[in-house]
Amino acid sequence: MVDLALKMLLDEKGRFLATVLGVGFAVALVLIQVGLFFGLLENASITIEKLDADLWVMARNTANVDFGNPFPETYVQRVRSIPGVARADNLIVWYAVVALPTGAKESVIYYALEDFGRWAFPWNVIEGRAADLRRGRFVMLDESAQRRFGPFAVGDSREFQGLSLKIIGKTRDARSFTTNPMAFLDYQLAQRLSAEELSDQTTFIIVKLEPWADVRTVRAEIERRLPYNDVHTRAEWTSISRRYWIESTGLGLTIFLTVSLGALVGVVIVAQTLYASTTEHLAEFGTIKALGGRDIDVCGLIAEQAMFAAALGFALGLVLTFGLDPLLVRLDMKMAVTRGMAALVFVATQVLCLSASIVSFRKVRSLDPAIVFRG
Amino acid sequence: MTVLEARDVTKTYREGPHEVQVLRGVSLSLSRGEVVALEGPSGSGKTTLLCILGCLLGAGGGRLTIEGREVDVRRPGRLWSIRRRSIGFVFQQYNLFPSLTAMENVVYALNIRGWRGARARREAERVLDAVGLSQRRNFRPRDLSGGQKQRVAVARALAGAAPMILADEPTGNLDSDSGAQVLELFRSLARQENRALLIVTHDPAVRSIADRVVAIRDGSVIPLES
Repeated sequence: MVDLALKMLLDEKGRFLATVLGVGFAVALVLIQVGLFFGLLENASITIEKLDADLWVMARNTANVDFGNPFPETYVQRVRSIPGVARADNLIVWYAVVALPTGAKESVIYYALEDFGRWAFPWNVIEGRAADLRRGRFVMLDESAQRRFGPFAVGDSREFQGLSLKIIGKTRDARSFTTNPMAFLDYQLAQRLSAEELSDQTTFIIVKLEPWADVRTVRAEIERRLPYNDVHTRAEWTSISRRYWIESTGLGLTIFLTVSLGALVGVVIVAQTLYASTTEHLAEFGTIKALGGRDIDVCGLIAEQAMFAAALGFALGLVLTFGLDPLLVRLDMKMAVTRGMAALVFVATQVLCLSASIVSFRKVRSLDPAIVFRG
Repeated sequence: MTVLEARDVTKTYREGPHEVQVLRGVSLSLSRGEVVALEGPSGSGKTTLLCILGCLLGAGGGRLTIEGREVDVRRPGRLWSIRRRSIGFVFQQYNLFPSLTAMENVVYALNIRGWRGARARREAERVLDAVGLSQRRNFRPRDLSGGQKQRVAVARALAGAAPMILADEPTGNLDSDSGAQVLELFRSLARQENRALLIVTHDPAVRSIADRVVAIRDGSVIPLES
């Protein structure tokens, strides 16, 4: 069969290129924005997802894993004695001010445990051993800290809250949503660093259940024993932490608006070029009708053009998106574009481009085939 | 064998508050192998009649029968299947698809008629050969002369098994030599392929190939000569 749709499209290379570029730009805009958004959100909950804890206990109304509030560390004993609890430990998540060799000061968010090994935390140690943190005034820093701290090496020292700590290891991919570098310390050292707020205090209790335990039962018991604390499962706590950033910063709305604008740009460009093309080719469409083509045959031709432009535009958008990735990595930004997301954007691109054809469909349906006899 | 029978066909146009009756009870028949020329001054209703006979336009009244089947002239939206099956068109402006080659133009028309693959290609080659354009089948319309374009249009109209071909001023955009060639082609192919051919024209040269000449005056058809 002769593919008139494609031949008409490719016969007008300039217009076709403009359409594909427009769609590609819109797709890239959407993918990059959404990718950066999800990349940021990953940081918002990465420690929750990487820590092998089934339940998190925290002060009432704690909004987010980065903003823990202190409560008595002895509460962990009440949790440990609950049937079904395999282990429970205090976890401090807090902030410290670090003095740099340049004289500048930077903030760091730190995670402090008594036994990192029991929790396989941090999850990606590239230098040193987390078990050594309890042996002295030691700290592990994520390598991304170099961006704000400047270069550092294992063996260097930095002042945390006025106390000199030796860097004994480096991690990778440990970042917070706030972009503060992440550090790992021994639990008692952390309490010492912020003695005023954290003496005999913790900010979280992390709980691992026995394989046979029922999470709802254990949770209910913890809530009964600690009526002034909140208890969340890992999934809930991940969702709460992410939602905090989406809602409180307006990030969700911003992304929604950007995605909508990107989609609108794509639709308008496709609608405009398709309509212009349809108007210019009215005589041909009239001829198709005169030869015995139905409305649906002509609309199908236009739809095929829209979908072809959508597919090529999507491919271009994908290339632009991933072409930008090296630059984003250099800027220490993470873009999380999954296959599922790409597939969704592909389908949405097809749907939107087809929608853009509706104006052309209406034009064609009202076309009088007798137009072929007018000069 | 009669391919088309039109009886008392009427057509009225509304122009603002006025009604203009363009066709007043037109009757016409076409038979296979016959060439009929339809003449008339501008505005006489030739194109309107052609559109109605070609099932491109609905009529106000009358009867139209094509290949023995009665056509509902008041519902033009459903007439695509008759055009697809029974009617080939040749237009004054050629109306070829510029992005397709001569071969593809003919094959596309066959595709619309339900012909596919090798069968469509063979038929396209046959009709292009019949009009003397087999050497130019891979040329696009922009690379063909006016006469060659019209011959491609004739080939497209002949392709398939449509028993009737309606031509609107087929020589209108051609010089006299090309026009004469196209007319001769029409006559020989109509006879050879046993198709009915109706040519709407101002060109007096058409009379030389026509079996019958009719004129349309004041909305009615008058036979002139045969």
